[in-house]
Amino acid sequence: MHRRRFLQLSSIASAALAAPPILRAARAADDTITVAAPVPMSGAFAANGKYGSMGTAMAVADAGSMLGKKLSYLEIDTEGRPATAVRKIQEAMEQKKVQLFAGGILSSSALAMGEEVNKHHGVFFTTAGADEITGSKCNKSTFRWSVPTYGAINETVRPLIEKMPKAKRWYTITPKYVFGEGLLNAAKDVFKEKGVELVGNSYHSLDEKEFSGYITNAVAAQPDVLLILNFGSQSSATLRQAVNFGLKSKMTILLAWASGLEQFEELGADVSDGIYFGAQYWHQIDSPFNKQLVAEVKKEKGINPNYSFAGAYLMAKLLADGAKKAGSADGPAVIKALEGMEYDGLTGKETIRAADHQVIKNYYLLKGKAKAAMKDKDDYADIISSGQSFLSPQDAKCKMT
Amino acid sequence: MIYLFQLMNGIGLGMLYFLLAVGLSVIFGLLHFVNFAHGAFYLLGAYLCYALLQYGVGFWGALVLAAIIVAAIAAVVETGLLKRIYRLDHMYHIVATIGLALMIQEIVIIVWGPVGSSVPAPKALTGAIMLGHFIYPEYRLFVIGFTAVLAAILWWVLEGTRLGAVVRAGSESTDMVSLLGYDINRINTAVFALGAGLAGLAGALAAPIRGVDPFMGVEALAVAFVVVVIGGMGSYTGALIAGLLVGIVQSLMTTLWPAGASLAIYIAMVLVVLVMPRGLLGRA
Repeated sequence: MHRRRFLQLSSIASAALAAPPILRAARAADDTITVAAPVPMSGAFAANGKYGSMGTAMAVADAGSMLGKKLSYLEIDTEGRPATAVRKIQEAMEQKKVQLFAGGILSSSALAMGEEVNKHHGVFFTTAGADEITGSKCNKSTFRWSVPTYGAINETVRPLIEKMPKAKRWYTITPKYVFGEGLLNAAKDVFKEKGVELVGNSYHSLDEKEFSGYITNAVAAQPDVLLILNFGSQSSATLRQAVNFGLKSKMTILLAWASGLEQFEELGADVSDGIYFGAQYWHQIDSPFNKQLVAEVKKEKGINPNYSFAGAYLMAKLLADGAKKAGSADGPAVIKALEGMEYDGLTGKETIRAADHQVIKNYYLLKGKAKAAMKDKDDYADIISSGQSFLSPQDAKCKMT
Repeated sequence: MIYLFQLMNGIGLGMLYFLLAVGLSVIFGLLHFVNFAHGAFYLLGAYLCYALLQYGVGFWGALVLAAIIVAAIAAVVETGLLKRIYRLDHMYHIVATIGLALMIQEIVIIVWGPVGSSVPAPKALTGAIMLGHFIYPEYRLFVIGFTAVLAAILWWVLEGTRLGAVVRAGSESTDMVSLLGYDINRINTAVFALGAGLAGLAGALAAPIRGVDPFMGVEALAVAFVVVVIGGMGSYTGALIAGLLVGIVQSLMTTLWPAGASLAIYIAMVLVVLVMPRGLLGRA
């Protein structure tokens, strides 16, 4: 009897403890529209997640309310792990009835989340890099704002070859997984077309931390240009070693896929000076919407928006705009509204291509400045050139599902 | 020629690995527990060096101070926490030291933020030596020389001094050392602080080479384990040989089989464990 009583009491207690969030979620679904930001808030990419989350929150606050409902914001910590990300997306969609997602910084997580959101007919906007996201693994629910590898190479390697016609010998350092291979293959195509010789390539594994050996390999090949094709902390480590070894004075260095202002802050001007960087976004872009965003972020947060922040802000805004245009926050309606949409974006006029849900936007070639030439603490680089290069949806192998 | 440079590069790496691993190895030798917080002391050393440089302390001062502060913190941790759990099961050692490592890492993130940073090498050593068209940074040459001198001093302390004799005796039988009238508690604290201080010094030395980030401790711990397992638990000479071996294998492999370079050191470890389960110079 006592035991049974105890069990009863404890089950009631636990139900009562669990109930409020369920009740809240149920009510929340009625009078608010939620935009969720599934980003890594812990682990090695937590810094990107933190800025991404801030961006989404600000976009939601700016939009205020729409369709007679309040817009609300939900942060989801993916921990940078695809399995965790999928489980939390599932929870959010089933229990909290969330339909709109903006996030997914890492390709592996983004691919998994896109598939999960697609199962529940929601909308998922991401900045992750892998070609498949709007290529061979594209789906109805997934949209991508960032330029994939093909464009990143064509808007950095190509202008640099044209700028330096005498630099005929290039060396590459490539991480051995889909993202690196994508960049390397795109680069090889450009080299072939332009009659440039690839004098060598060093592959390295995804968990490599020590790059001095690869730099030594590159030095031995005596290239004119060193093209670095890894990303994030690996690319920072590679660049530091290259500068340590005095490569700046011997060759031109290009990092095709930099992560923006965050990376410049991490490297410091002493390292980034004179190096070329490819970038999705830069706070000094001369477009009306970007100027507006930079002014707002400076006023409210006292910082310049970086890539993670600005990308997340824009994606959340697009989701809200899509819902407004559709007159409904339901996934399929928002998808329809977003397809083919043209708008004033961060990089000027941007278009969401209907066939593969890829946003057509600029990619930038930057050049690092010397510390003495910087006008303020974030003025790390000049924009050298910009442009739009994309494979057609057919060439990207997208078959919409 | 390229192999000669990779060899030199490997020696540079290997000396840092030695410095990192010898502390772990000596702590294990005397205290008989694996310090999972060792990587965190390396992390702390690197960040203290970074912070001291920011405050305008010169590089040499920052290097020495970082090591001393880490050693002092380690001494406090040892007397306040670890001393109380030595007699417990290994499981408690693991939980306590992993917990400590996570705490240090999170504190670093709270104080310095989750984004890493570059650390400038001292002005006198920013150049590079040119040999034909090959280049080697002066700072790395300095690291090789500095750690070599340090290794010699350490060897002398462990083999040639009374303290060293007591430490070696303690690793055979702590009871015997106590019976001979030595305060084993104080020796434990000193050895733990020394080991952690060496890790901190390795972190401070590595900072200008690799920069600092909050996750560098975990990565360092993995390498230190490999070195200690290859060299043999508790062996000074083993740590030196294994550190150099790991550094050189890793470096040469980046030319021979780049994609597998970071795998190579683990393969080397597996081979050593299979053929010589106690490591190259380990005791039972």
